[in-house]
Amino acid sequence: MAATDRIIVLPGDTIDPAVIPTPRRNAIRLGPGLRHVQATNSIVPTVAGQLITDHGKGSMWVESSTGHYIPAISDLVIGQITRSQGDYYLVNLSPYTPNATLPHLSFEAATKKTRPQLNPGALVYARVTLANRHMDPELECVSQTTGKGDGLGPLTGGMVFDVSLGMARRLLLSKPREYGGVAVLELLADEGLAFETAVGRNGKVWVGSDKSEANTRMVIAVGRALRETDERGLDVEAQKKLVRRIMKELSR
Amino acid sequence: MTATTAPEAKLQVLPRADGSAKFSSAGYTVIGSVNGPIEAQRRDEHAYEAHVDVIVRPAAGVGGTRERHLESILQSSLAQLILVKNFPRHLIQIVLQVEETPENDYANAKLVQASLNFPILPALLQTAVLALLSASVPMRATATASFVAVLSQDGTNKVVVDPPPRDIETARSVHVLAFTSHDELLLAESEGDFTVKEWDDVYDTAKRICCQSGGAKTGIEMELDDAGDNGLDMRRFLRSAVETKVEADLHWK
Amino acid sequence: MPREAEPSLNERQFVLQALRENLRLDGRPFDKYRPVELIFGEQYGVVEVSFGKTKILAKTSAELTVPYVDRPLDGIFTIATELSPMTAPSFEVNRPTETEVLLSRLLEKTVRRSGALDTESLCLVAGQKCWSVRVDVHVLSHDGDLTDAACLAVVAALRHFRKPDTSIEGGLLTVYTPAEREPVPLSWLHSPFCVTWSFYGDQGEMALLDATLSEEHVRVGSCTISMNRHGEICQIAKLGGTPVDAVALLQCTNVALVKVKDFSAFLDRKLAEDAKRRDKGGLMAELSAENDR
Repeated sequence: MAATDRIIVLPGDTIDPAVIPTPRRNAIRLGPGLRHVQATNSIVPTVAGQLITDHGKGSMWVESSTGHYIPAISDLVIGQITRSQGDYYLVNLSPYTPNATLPHLSFEAATKKTRPQLNPGALVYARVTLANRHMDPELECVSQTTGKGDGLGPLTGGMVFDVSLGMARRLLLSKPREYGGVAVLELLADEGLAFETAVGRNGKVWVGSDKSEANTRMVIAVGRALRETDERGLDVEAQKKLVRRIMKELSR
Repeated sequence: MTATTAPEAKLQVLPRADGSAKFSSAGYTVIGSVNGPIEAQRRDEHAYEAHVDVIVRPAAGVGGTRERHLESILQSSLAQLILVKNFPRHLIQIVLQVEETPENDYANAKLVQASLNFPILPALLQTAVLALLSASVPMRATATASFVAVLSQDGTNKVVVDPPPRDIETARSVHVLAFTSHDELLLAESEGDFTVKEWDDVYDTAKRICCQSGGAKTGIEMELDDAGDNGLDMRRFLRSAVETKVEADLHWK
Repeated sequence: MPREAEPSLNERQFVLQALRENLRLDGRPFDKYRPVELIFGEQYGVVEVSFGKTKILAKTSAELTVPYVDRPLDGIFTIATELSPMTAPSFEVNRPTETEVLLSRLLEKTVRRSGALDTESLCLVAGQKCWSVRVDVHVLSHDGDLTDAACLAVVAALRHFRKPDTSIEGGLLTVYTPAEREPVPLSWLHSPFCVTWSFYGDQGEMALLDATLSEEHVRVGSCTISMNRHGEICQIAKLGGTPVDAVALLQCTNVALVKVKDFSAFLDRKLAEDAKRRDKGGLMAELSAENDR
């Protein structure tokens, strides 16, 4: 997208009515960073960022990539078990925030006897099922409809790296390279590295691999590639260069 | 050292805070960090809204009653801007660290307890707003602030924006005004003797600095500009600072 | 009180496993510091130091006061370290944590008790007037190794600082404003620096320099060695933790000396650069001041 047609909004800005989508059948869907003020019947941004409108789906939102993680329904997150209480695990999603709850039985094929025993400090990959300003968030590690884990569940071994919320969002897009401009993981995989990743919307990326020799180095390399891409704002070309450099370091 | 009056700002300066900004204007440099929404302590917890915690820390010495006073002014102003109802039982923590204050070359100020810290209020407020924007804390509107003094020179009173520290000491009255981006008056603090007429002049001057929309100026405004506020436009400044940050963040978009 | 973020089990295991394989997460060798940056402020005595993501601001200030009754010939020198919630929300104002107490005590021992600043030179009139020099340390961002970064910041801020010039004529003390006379530097005797080692392993056999926050969380002990570039040790603090072999500690001290020499040279270079930058206007100011007389 060219820089000229991006609309950058600040909280309280007036949005040009021409850009607001007018879906024929449904109501407009407002995404994060926007609110509807009833008194004036207008849509007002609440955060600074780029205003994105999708006329086809009749939705609009403000894209911003910083700040503290605020849970939203159906977000995939990486949480850290704080402790077990009753039938729940208390899970921390981001530092200094109230714990989310994860039922003991909300794992694939979990029964009272076979449920995973998780110690404080263990990591889980989970989906947010309840996010509400008045209640603590709730999580699940199993799909309610299919009863399958779909990759959710405890994360063992490996390493978790902190990235910005924007980076996590880019990695979670359906085609990170085309839509999000992140190609590092793909490029590293093309170079023959075998690793697994799990991306949490709360700004965490878990990188794991099977427990054999030389894998610690590889996990570190993947983590550094992610962080550098994020912190230095590298584009795809620069990411290619970065991957070449990292591969050279690894082969040494 | 001569204090530069042109404001400068940089967002996202601290790597580990949720949002941060460094702002300098009229010789003041303030660095601010925002963390939140995070868990509030039991004693600060409100059932229906977020608690906004503002901490002002002087560059030298420990904070005292003056800092507490500034904190309470900032706290009530910022709580108006932040959509506190969105985060009940949470805390939004704003820490403002003063880095530099203008030095008066002609007097040895007592540094440990700054004698006059009223003029720093606009810089503190501006830093806080920038840091909140950087932390993507949902807000109703943004705000801009200005410092205006009424100086009496040769028997006539003159309204001056961001005067040097020497003039502040001799000023008849000093005023801090802040406006939201909806042109509403957010904050008005004054010190010294002044008449209603003077306050009106101060109000107009401050409003012009804070609320200029960057469009074409009318004749009257141009005349007033010549009266010497060097065409400061805080709102455009704020927008360009934030736009720079957003564009850097969304380079991939 | 918000809890401090603890690293997850996975992180703990991984960091330790990597160290066992001689690897650090940021790819550094064990005995290398992160990129050190040092920026002097517009005013004298203000300095910002960063070690990677750790950022420290130090500001020096001076004011005239009365000396302590029991030390009438000495000026007053204090180092104030208060961690604000800017460092991390788990720090509260006016409620010192262990980190804060240890940091201030180490700085106190390293800089103040080692006699780096000649406090006698701060005394103007015995028992009546003296300078009180104060350094405020503000931690802007905490990513491990606060002690080393804070110590560098304090020493840099003090060496960069200029106090107003004074004269005594016939028992009358005059303090000149910066416009009347160029302020003068403090009387500085030697520059001590801290080097902190973090230990890992069952016997503390692995030693790391400049640990990041996540590395600090999993260490079994640490040792801070303070010395100047002549190799004179100001203090060694090994506070609890797993006992470390004496020979290994000796080796740590040797490496510390190399690092201290690096710091010393680095600071000298930065101070010279800053002096050069200021001199452009400074020389002109001096000339015009002379013309006035």
